[in-house]
This record gives sequence, C-alpha cells and structure tokens, in this order.
Amino acid sequence: MDNQLFERLQKEGIISDTSAQKIRTISADKLFSIHWELKTILYLGVLLLSGGLGILIYKNIDTIGHQVILAAIALGCAGCFYYSFRHKLPFSREKVPAPNVLFDYILLLGCLLLITFITYLQVQYSVFGYRYGAATFIPMVVLFFSAYYFDHLGVLSMAVTNLAAWMGVTVTPLQLLSANDFSSFSLIYSGLVLGGILLAAAYLSQRKTFKPHFAFTYSNFGTHILLIATLAGMFAAYDGAYGLWFLLMAVAVIVMMPQALKHRSFYFALIITLYAYVGLSFMVIRVLLEINDIGAVYFGFMYFIASAIAFVILLVKLNKKLKKA
Amino acid sequence: MISYNTTSLDNRHIQEQAEKASKKSCITPEELAAIKAAYPVDLYSPNIYMRIGIFILTYIMLTFSFGLFTLIMSTGGSEDGFGVLCCLFGIGTYVGAEYMVRDKKHYKSGADAALIWASGGFILGGILIFGRSEGNPWIYFFIALLLATWFVIRFADVSMSIVAHISLLGMLFSILSYAGTAGKIIVPFAVMIVSLAVYLVSLRLSRIHTYRHYTPCLDMLQGVALLTLYMGGNYFVVRELSIEMFDLDLQPGQDIAGGWIFWILTVLLPLVYIIQGIRKKNRILIVVGLLLVAAMVYTIRYYHSIAPLEIAMTLGGLAMIAVAYGLIRYLKTPRHGFTADSADERHMMEAVQIESLIIAQTMSQTSGPTQDQYNFGGGTGGGGGASGEY
Repeated sequence: MDNQLFERLQKEGIISDTSAQKIRTISADKLFSIHWELKTILYLGVLLLSGGLGILIYKNIDTIGHQVILAAIALGCAGCFYYSFRHKLPFSREKVPAPNVLFDYILLLGCLLLITFITYLQVQYSVFGYRYGAATFIPMVVLFFSAYYFDHLGVLSMAVTNLAAWMGVTVTPLQLLSANDFSSFSLIYSGLVLGGILLAAAYLSQRKTFKPHFAFTYSNFGTHILLIATLAGMFAAYDGAYGLWFLLMAVAVIVMMPQALKHRSFYFALIITLYAYVGLSFMVIRVLLEINDIGAVYFGFMYFIASAIAFVILLVKLNKKLKKA
Repeated sequence: MISYNTTSLDNRHIQEQAEKASKKSCITPEELAAIKAAYPVDLYSPNIYMRIGIFILTYIMLTFSFGLFTLIMSTGGSEDGFGVLCCLFGIGTYVGAEYMVRDKKHYKSGADAALIWASGGFILGGILIFGRSEGNPWIYFFIALLLATWFVIRFADVSMSIVAHISLLGMLFSILSYAGTAGKIIVPFAVMIVSLAVYLVSLRLSRIHTYRHYTPCLDMLQGVALLTLYMGGNYFVVRELSIEMFDLDLQPGQDIAGGWIFWILTVLLPLVYIIQGIRKKNRILIVVGLLLVAAMVYTIRYYHSIAPLEIAMTLGGLAMIAVAYGLIRYLKTPRHGFTADSADERHMMEAVQIESLIIAQTMSQTSGPTQDQYNFGGGTGGGGGASGEY
C-alpha cells in the first residue's frame, strides 16, 4: 500500500490516527510472497513427472525395467495418497482449505498416477472388462471421490472432463470446439444432456450447500457445453428446424441469465450475452441469405454495426446493474 | 500529454488503495466512504470480463463499419484509393478513441483498446498499401513505433507498449541486416544493448512520480525488455535465426562463430535474473528468470540431448517438486522478508478456479472412450501447458 498517501489522508483528517497506525504496522511487516511462483513450479513438476512416467511405461512394455516402472508408479501413487490422507483436514460440506501449499499438488500427482495405473491395467490385461466404457468410468469415479473427499477444484475439473469423455464429448477447454464433430446430432444431444446435468449439479451444490464453491466449475462447463450444443444444433439444422434450436437457446439464455445476475457473476453474464449474440446473428444472416439481394448485403452490414453497438450498451448496463447489486 | 484527466487518475488510485486498506480492515467503512466522497472518480472502467466483451463487440462493429465504408466509398477500386480509405478510417477511429476517453470518460473499458488497435492497424495498413510493402521494412517498423509510442503516451495502453518495443527491435534488426556482414554480426549484441537500455530506462522512469500513470506500461516494458535481452543472447535463437534470415549454411552439429559467448549467455542470464530478483525483491526479474530457465533447458536439450525425453521429464519433474518442497520447508517461518503464503486472499478463489481450468486442459489424459487406448500417454501434451501458465 501507498504509505505516503495514507499519511496525507491522515493529515487531512479523513482517516483517524488509529487507522493510520494500523496501515503503518501492516506495511512495516509486509513480506514478499512467492506463493504463486512456488505453485507454478509444483504444477509444472507434477505435469512433467506424471507425463514422463506415462510415456516411460508404454515405451518400456515387454522389457524387464517395465515391472520396475509399474511398481514405482504404484508406490508413488500409494505414497501420495498416504500423504493426502495423513495431512487432510476433516471433511466438511463447506470449503475445506488445503493444510499447506504442497498438499494440493501431492494429491493431484496421486490422482494422475492412479489413472495411469488403472488405464495401464485396463490396456494390458483389460481388468475391468469393456462394458459401459469402464476405461473412463473407473477413473471418473476415483476423480469425483478425490475431488469431494479432499476438496480439490483441479481434480473436480478433471473429473468433469472425464464424465464428458465417458459420454462421448470432449470438454477440455481449448479442444471444446475443435475436437468435437458438431454436425452429428447424437453428439449435440449428448452435449445438451451433459450441459443439463452439470448445470443441475451446480444448482444443487449451492441449494443443498454441499461444497457450494464447486458450483462455479460445474456451471462453467455446463453453460459452455449447453449453449454450444444449441448453437451447433442451429448450424447442423441449417436447412431444417433451426428456428426450434434458436428457441431452445433463447429459453436456456432466459433461464440462465437471472441466475448469473443473482450470483453477481460478470463472467457468466458476459458469456451468456456473447452466445446469445452469436445465435441472434446466425438467425439474421440465415434470413438475409434467403432474400439474396444487394439490399440484403447492406442490411447485413448495418445489422452488425447496430447490433454490436446495442450489445455494447447492454454490457455497460449489465455492468452497472451487477456493480450496484 | 496523457489524454485522461490526471486528477481523476490520481483519485482512482486513492480509491483503489483505500479499498485495499478497507479489505484488510485497516480503515473503517465510514472512512472508506469519506475518502470516496473527498476524491470522486468520474472514469468509466467496467469489470475485466465486461471489458473483454466490449472489446470484442467494438471490434465487430469497427470491422463491419469499415466494410460498409469501403462498399460505399470505393469507386475505381484502385490500390491507392483503398490505401486512402484505410488511412481515413484509421484517423476516424483515432478520433473515436479520443472522443470515448475525453467525453465518455472511458478508462480501460475495452472500447478504447479496440479503437486504438483499429486506428493503428488501419493507418499502418494504408501506408503499407501506398508503399507496396517494398524495400527495406525499417520504415514500416519506424511508423509502427511512432504510432504505438503515441498511443502509449496518450492512453497509457499496456499492449501498445509491447508493440512499441517490438517495433523498435524490428527497426534495428532490419537496418542492421541490410548493412552487410558487419551489421549481421552485431545484430544479437545490438538487440541486447537496446533491450538493456529500454529495461533500465523504464525501471528508472517507473520510480519517478511524474510518470505514475504509466506504471503498468513501464512494468510491462521491463518484462518484455528482459525477455528480448535474453533472446538476443540465446544460442538457439541466434543460431536458428542466422540460418533462417541470413541464409547461413550450417550443418547440424556445426557451431556458429563465437558460439561459446551465446552458450554462456544462454545459461547465465536466467540465473542472473533470478539472483538479482531475489536480492532486489523484484517480481518481474524473478518471474522472467523462472520462465527463462525453461528456455535454457529447452535450448540445452535441443543440441545436447543427454537423456531421452521421458526420462528428462520424469527427473525434471521430480527435481522441481523437490525444489519447491525444500523452499516451502525453508520458508515455513518467513525469512529474509520472503514468505510462501499468499499475500492477497481476495483474488485467491478466482486464481484457483483459473488454475483448475488449466489443470483440466493439460492433465486430462482421456482421449475419448475408445476401446484400445494404446496412445493415451501422449494425451497430456507435456510442454503445451508450460507456456500458458506464466
């Protein structure tokens, strides 16, 4: 904090002497925090170690060293979970803070190693059979359990991506648009169902106060996948019932927007607005293409200019509303 | 020089500081209200997400405005005519940016950044069309430098300070690479000297009260200058750029002239940054230094692969966890003014949520419910996440 500034404010009589003294004390013992630097190093270490072991085990299949690597993974995994069980704070329905910086990453490493181990057993010996997508189902259960039991948002995100993969959808943030074939209606329906499940999970987390801080992760994945699925429905039904998909999207937006405002989330208010804008623009262009006239081209340009200005004003209004609330 | 009302900017700073003090319960809510009343802010700065949204929408608006503008104005369809249109549009958006800032009091609202970027892009594009983008490109870099510097001075825009620095180096690079062999040889050293100068000047300026409104720009310049200083001396960059740009004919395994100088710089600079950063408690130096340790490891591994990738990954990961563990133990009670605890609890939850998305992106090993998943190990995309984190 800016000490000179508060000295000035004290002289002007805006803040009391006790407050000024408090600020002086806090600034005097201010420490230089390397918290995020440490977290980053730990994260990269876990990423490299689990990735390296994952490759190592497959490159050495059919050699003697192979069993050693497998044993090392099992041991490492057991060690990580032993540490996590020993150091964890008692379970609670509310947010449980991590006992220390290291804890989160040890748990993360344990989960990754466990998945590597399970998947290896499945690939090599098909221990869990092939029914019901067991290869993704079991890791998913482990991840959900660990996320709730140890209270870990990162593991929860991995569990959600696993759930999606189990249902046949890729929801990894950067691959969401590229890795899915959105022209297939079965995928679009899966997306709708998945989005609905995740949004319901978000709603219930908060309603039943069972890990309410997990709600953001659920609704983040849920909102994106649901709205993308409705958009994909509009694009895929280009010559058919795209209007119905638009209605579905409009309903979703109308249901979700008040929730975003209620929770004072700038982020959700923004993404819902942007998806709605894409959907609306698709409808306008789709109708204009029917007209097939030079006037329609001009109108299209005008539409984008006017609508962008309108949506900027909408965002400004939303911002005001959220700030005040 | 700055386009904003400086009293408003100062008051904004005072309010921010007061909010911070209030969050740490140093001052009472009544005092906070009194400060806000005594130092009112009339600037419009929306939330960061809204800012992104407003930026995107303004950009869409500008793109289609330009489309409509050319549709109406274009008559002969000559190239020069189009260049004129670009320049006119660029000037128009600049006027728009000044209007938003002066009359609408927008400060970092997203609309200002979109207008500034469009203005710079269209003016530069128009000039490129006039010049047929021929000849020595230094003149275009020079124009970009002038434009970006002007935008930084007027609007204190952080992204434009990056553009300015890159343009400066681009100009230097094109002048020297057209200046014969001697010029080509001194390119790395010139880049390093200029970067060092930019770093030192921005460090100096960031401590002067007169330039307080430019602090974010100057901090960014320090970071970028430290990065380019390293790139100028990095063995990989120098060797591969010499082959790419100057058609240097090198066989794999063959060394460049004076290669040992660059090897020393490659290895030493990140360590120097980190040590200096720790001594001076300068976060920019520490973060850039840590980032460059990764670049150093990559460079060494690229030419001297000591162990196969997966073993290097495993051992590297173990080493990193060990180092972090050691530091956490060492700083269990704060020492030398350093602590392992987070300083700012307020942003903690948001940061953890972003981190969880990064984890989902980089650590989800599943690649769809295929029955014969032999290739799953590759799914993590090891290094891909590394750059995203910083």
